[in-house]
Amino acid sequence: MAEPFKNTPPAPEDKGVMTAQNIAAALAGESQASQKYLAFADVADADGYPNVGRLFRAVAFAESTHARNHLSVLGGIGTTTENLKAAWGGETFEIDEMYPAYDAVAKLQENKSAQTSIRYALKAELDHQGIYDSTLKGVEGKKDLAAEPVRVCPICGHTVIGDAPDECPQCGTAGLYFKEF
Amino acid sequence: MDEVFEKRLPRPEDLNAMTEESLKAAFAGESQAAEKYMVFAEHAVEEGYANVAKLFRAISYAETRHARNHLRVMKGIGATADNLLTAFGGESFEIDEMYPAYAAIAKAQENAQASRSVRYALKAEQDHKRMYADAREQVLTGKDVAAQLVSVCEICGHTVIGDVPDKCPVCAAAKEYYKTF
Repeated sequence: MAEPFKNTPPAPEDKGVMTAQNIAAALAGESQASQKYLAFADVADADGYPNVGRLFRAVAFAESTHARNHLSVLGGIGTTTENLKAAWGGETFEIDEMYPAYDAVAKLQENKSAQTSIRYALKAELDHQGIYDSTLKGVEGKKDLAAEPVRVCPICGHTVIGDAPDECPQCGTAGLYFKEF
Repeated sequence: MDEVFEKRLPRPEDLNAMTEESLKAAFAGESQAAEKYMVFAEHAVEEGYANVAKLFRAISYAETRHARNHLRVMKGIGATADNLLTAFGGESFEIDEMYPAYAAIAKAQENAQASRSVRYALKAEQDHKRMYADAREQVLTGKDVAAQLVSVCEICGHTVIGDVPDKCPVCAAAKEYYKTF
């Protein structure tokens, strides 16, 4: 029997600065839509609308396929080595520039919850930067990461390889709530 | 468990304009990081790095926590009827303004892959807009939507409630490539 037809996502194409800007904006839009819909899905479940929750999750997945397609057109998907470098670069920018700048503004304006949300993220990006760095060294030598669980705090995103701590060092959430991958 | 979470999550806050702008940008950044890392995870699997893939998925989850926290502080998460209206509004903007504008420019600049990525998204957003409108009507009367399966083409994001077509009407992928929720 013939294989079922599988289309492929759009390929990279470097043509037109304005088009690249638009596709980058569309990637931002689709990514945010996906995250919002996942948040809305959890609210729908809690509100007693499990089928609306399912609809939100399905549409979030659809937006993720659009985000992936746009990222592909932009040439943003490389080998795992390149992807780890890109990931490390993104985390580094957030640590060195973005979150410190946002934190300064939130402090100046005394927006307390915003400071908490920024601090949680900044602390976790430090974990990610370190983990991506050591993982990249392995992959450059063709070595996969060790087969240990990766655990993430569901409140603040604190990320550890191996055992969860008794209590999250950033936000105090008990380790038993950490999500295991 | 909900109480534990409620206590530690950053709360919704009346934000000053500059802090709000910061959090909006941080939400955009975290959302894109989460999407990129999921794509990078798929590629790591293809390259035989199963544990690097797991790491990307774990860190993607951490970024979704940050995106969710920022969105919550900005009061971007409401009751389900409000969330459906927000979702409907976003889809409408993409259909009426964003994607037609991007399509026109991609066409003028003869970027075929960008045109395809934009067309796939635009087509699916039309499905989403209608589904969100229908769901909101139900929810406003206190009813959940019917318990039908929602399926999504993993190439172009075409979204269908109920039976999956033999091939995707938008991108022609076979029905095997639909993901069902």
